[in-house]
Amino acid sequence: MRTPIAAYLILSGILFALGTVGVLVRRNALVIFMSVELQLNAVNLSLVAFSRMHNDLTGQVLAFFSMVVAAAEVVVGLAIIVSVFRLRQSADVDQARVLRG
Amino acid sequence: MVELTWLIPALPLAGAAVILPAGRRLGARAGWVATALVGAAFAASVAVLAELLSLPAADRATVVTVFRWIAAGRFAADVTLRVDPLSMTMALVVTGVGALIHWYGVGYMAHDPRVGRFFAFFNLFVFFMLVLVLANDYLLLYLGWEGVGLCSYLLIGFWHERPAAASAAKKAFVTTRIGDAALLLGIVLLWIHAGSLRFDAVLGGGTELSTAAATAISLLLLAGAVGKSAQLPLHVWLPDAMEGPTPVSALIHAATMVTAGVYLVVRSHPIFEASAVALPLVLAIGLGSAIYAGLASIGQFDVKRALAYSTMSQIGLMFFAAGMRMYSGAMLLLVCHASYKALLFLSSGNVMHGLGDETDLRRMGGLRREMPVTATWFAVGALALAGIPPLSGFFAKDHIVAFASTSGRTAAWVLASLAAFVSAVYIARPLFLAFAGERRNPGRAHEAPLGMQIPLALLAAGSVLTGAVLGWRPEGLLDGFLRPVTGALEHGEGGPSEAVLLLVSLAVAVGGVALAWWAWGSGRVEPEAFPRRRPELAGWLAHAFYVDDLYAWLVRVPGAGLGRALRLVDDRVVDGAVNGLGRDVARASRVAPVIQSGFVRSYALLFLLGATVLLLFLGSRI
Amino acid sequence: MDLVVFWVFAPISVASAVAMLLQRNAVHAALFLVVNLFTVAVFFLLLGAPFLFAVQIIVYAGAIMVLFLFVIMLLGVDRRESLVEQLRGQRLLAIVLGVGLVAEIATAVRAGVGLGARAPDGFAAVNRGGNARALARVLFSEHFFPFEVTSILLIVAAIAAMVLAARRTAVPADREAEQRDRQEVRA
Repeated sequence: MRTPIAAYLILSGILFALGTVGVLVRRNALVIFMSVELQLNAVNLSLVAFSRMHNDLTGQVLAFFSMVVAAAEVVVGLAIIVSVFRLRQSADVDQARVLRG
Repeated sequence: MVELTWLIPALPLAGAAVILPAGRRLGARAGWVATALVGAAFAASVAVLAELLSLPAADRATVVTVFRWIAAGRFAADVTLRVDPLSMTMALVVTGVGALIHWYGVGYMAHDPRVGRFFAFFNLFVFFMLVLVLANDYLLLYLGWEGVGLCSYLLIGFWHERPAAASAAKKAFVTTRIGDAALLLGIVLLWIHAGSLRFDAVLGGGTELSTAAATAISLLLLAGAVGKSAQLPLHVWLPDAMEGPTPVSALIHAATMVTAGVYLVVRSHPIFEASAVALPLVLAIGLGSAIYAGLASIGQFDVKRALAYSTMSQIGLMFFAAGMRMYSGAMLLLVCHASYKALLFLSSGNVMHGLGDETDLRRMGGLRREMPVTATWFAVGALALAGIPPLSGFFAKDHIVAFASTSGRTAAWVLASLAAFVSAVYIARPLFLAFAGERRNPGRAHEAPLGMQIPLALLAAGSVLTGAVLGWRPEGLLDGFLRPVTGALEHGEGGPSEAVLLLVSLAVAVGGVALAWWAWGSGRVEPEAFPRRRPELAGWLAHAFYVDDLYAWLVRVPGAGLGRALRLVDDRVVDGAVNGLGRDVARASRVAPVIQSGFVRSYALLFLLGATVLLLFLGSRI
Repeated sequence: MDLVVFWVFAPISVASAVAMLLQRNAVHAALFLVVNLFTVAVFFLLLGAPFLFAVQIIVYAGAIMVLFLFVIMLLGVDRRESLVEQLRGQRLLAIVLGVGLVAEIATAVRAGVGLGARAPDGFAAVNRGGNARALARVLFSEHFFPFEVTSILLIVAAIAAMVLAARRTAVPADREAEQRDRQEVRA
C-alpha cells in the first residue's frame, strides 16, 4: 500500500472535528445525533488504520464492536428523542433548558 | 531611729492597705484609723528629726536603704530614703498638716456612703507624698510623683457620679501628665549624662553636667514641676480640681501635692544652677503665675476656686523665691502656706457644711453672726496670707519680696510687691463677702461641731506662729536648718534700706486689705456691682483670661478634626473593605450563573474547550 | 493504485460531511451522511478489512441510517431548522476549536507515526484464510467475552427502545398524568 498511514489518520481527525462542530452548531436533535455517528465513524476509520499499521487484527475487532454498540446506541437514542418529541412537540435542543442556573 | 525612717511612709500605706478591703465594714471608724496612722507617722517624723538634730550640721544627711527594688542587667535601683533637713521639713509638713486634715475629714465626710474608700485613698496619698519627699533618688521620687497624681485623680473624682467631678479628675491627670512626661524625660537624660539617679551622687556639688545637659534636664524637670504645681502654662486643672471634697482640696491642692514642684526645684537646685537659663525661667514663671492667678482670684465667685487661684499665686511666689536662689525663703513660704491655706480651705468647708454645700460668695454674707468660730479661723488664715504682721505670712512674703530688692532685682521687686498687694486684696475679698455685711441668702447656717473645730484651731496656731518662729529673719531658724542642703543666702548691696522695705511690705498688706474692705466690706456689699459695670473686664478675670478656653479650643479643634478623619477612614476604608467584599462576592456570584444557561450546546462547547486544552497540555509534555 | 482511490474518495468524504452539516432539511443531511459512510467503507477496503467494508454498508448505512430516516419522517419531514444562531459566539468558538482539534491531531500524528510512514507489508499473513476467517479466529478466542456482552447489549437496547417509545394505553387517568407532565415541563 502506498498511501501513508498518516493520511488516513488525519482524515479521521478531520471527520471527527466535523462531527464535533456539528454537535455544537446544529439545533435539531436528530442532526446532532447524526454528527455523533460521524464521529464514531471517524474513530472506526482510525482504528482500522492502526490495525493495518501494527499488523494486528485487534483494531478491526474493536471497530466491529464499536459498530455494534453504535447500533444499540442509535436505537435507544432515537427512542429517547421520540418520547421527548411527544412531550414537547419539538426536536429543538435549545428548548430543553429547564435546568438553567 | 533613723534606720526606722521607712516607718514614716509605711504607716499610711498600712492604713490604705487595711481600709481598702475593710472600708465598708469599718464605716466612719475608717477615718479614725487613717488619722491615727498619719498622726503616728508625724510622731515618727518628729523622732527622726530629733535624731537628725542631734547630729552636727554638716553630717545631717543619712541614706537609709530599705530593699532592692530593681535589678535588671547593668541597671539596679534600691529603695533608699534620704534623711536630711529638706526631706524632713517636707515630711513634717505632710504628716503634720495631713494628720490635722484627716482629723477634720472624719467629721466632714461622716455622712458619705463611701467614707471608707475616701480615707483609704487619703492615706494612700500621704504614703506616696512621703515617698516623694523622702526618696533619695529620682526614680523613687518619680514613683511618688506618679502616685500622688493617681491619688489626686481618685480623690478629685471621688464623687464620680457627678460628671463635673469625673471630668475635672481626668483634666487634672491629663494636664499633669504632660509635665510628668517631661519629668521622666529629664530623669532619663540625667541618667544618661550623670550615670546615676541618686541625690548623693548627682547633687553632691560635683555635677559634671555640661551646661547644655544641665539646661535640658533642668528645663524638663521644671516642666514637671510646673504641671504638678499648677503654674503657667499648665495650671488649668487646679480650679476644676475643686470639685473634689474640701479636705482633698486642702491637703492635696494646697498644702502638699502642689508644693511638690517647689520641692523638686529646691532639691535639684545644683542642676538648675549649672544652667544659665533655668533659674531665670523659674523666676519668670513664678512671678507671672503669681500676678496672673492673683487677678483671676479676684474675679471668682466660687470661694473654692478663688482659693485655688490663690494657691497658684502663692506657689508662684515660692517659685519666684527659688528663681532668686532663695531656697530657704521658698521653703519658709511653703511651710507657712501649708498651715494657713489648709486653714482657709477647711474654714470654707465649715461654711459649706453649715450652708448645705453652698460655695457661691454671692449667696453668702453676714455669716460672722451665725458662725463666729469659723469666721475667726477664716480671718486668721486670710490675714496670715495677706501678710499682716505678726502672722506667719508676713515674715515669709516680706523676706521674699525684700530679697528681690536686696539682690538687685528692682523690677522684680516692684512686680513682687504688686503681687503681694493683689494677694492681700484677693484674700480679704472672700473674707468680707462671706462674713461681713448682711445675709444675702435666706436660711439658717449652723456652726460646725467641735470635732471639726479642733484641727482648725491647731492650724490657726500654726498660721500665727510658724512664720515668727522659723523665719524671724531671712537667716532664721529654718534657713539655718536647711543650709546644708540649700546653701547660704546671697544678699546683695544697694537698694532701699531694710526699714524702707519693711514699710513697703506693711503698706502693701494693709493697703490691700483696706481696699478690699472699701470695695466689699463696707456698706457697698454688692458683689455684682463690678461685673455689672464692667462686664468685659469682669469676664476676663472670672475666666482667668480665657487661658482654659484657649486650651480647650486648641485641643478640641484638632481632636475633632482627627476624629472626623478617622471616622472617614472607618467608613470608607474599613467599612468599604468589608462591604465592598460582600458586594464583590455578590457581584461575582451574579456573574457565575451565566455559565449555567441551560443550553446543552453551551455545555458541549465547554466540554470541547476543556478537552482541547487537556490535549494541548498532554501533547506538550510528550 | 490505492493512492488514486484514496485521493478520489477522501475529498468526497470530507465534502459530504461538510454538506451534511450545512443542510437545513434533516433528510438531506441523513442522505449526505450515507454518502460519507460509503466512502469510509471504501477506506476500510483499502486498509485490508473487506469484512468491515461489507458490515459497514449493510449495518451502518443500511440499517442504522434507515432507522434514522424512519424517525425523521415520524417527526415531520418538512421541518426546517432556522440557521440563525441563538447563542453568541457558539459558532465561532466551535469552528475555532474544531480547527484547533485538527491541528492537535495532525501534530500528534506527525510526532507519533510520521507523515511519510507507510504501512508494513506483512498484512496478508494476518489475513490468511480470508479476512472473515481471520477475524473469526480472533473474535471467538480472545474477544469472546466482549462478544457475548455485546449480544446482551443488543437485547437490552431493543427492550429499552420498546419501553421508551411505546405509547401509553389510552386510560383517562394516564392521559391526565401525561397532560400534567406536559404542563409542568412547559412551565
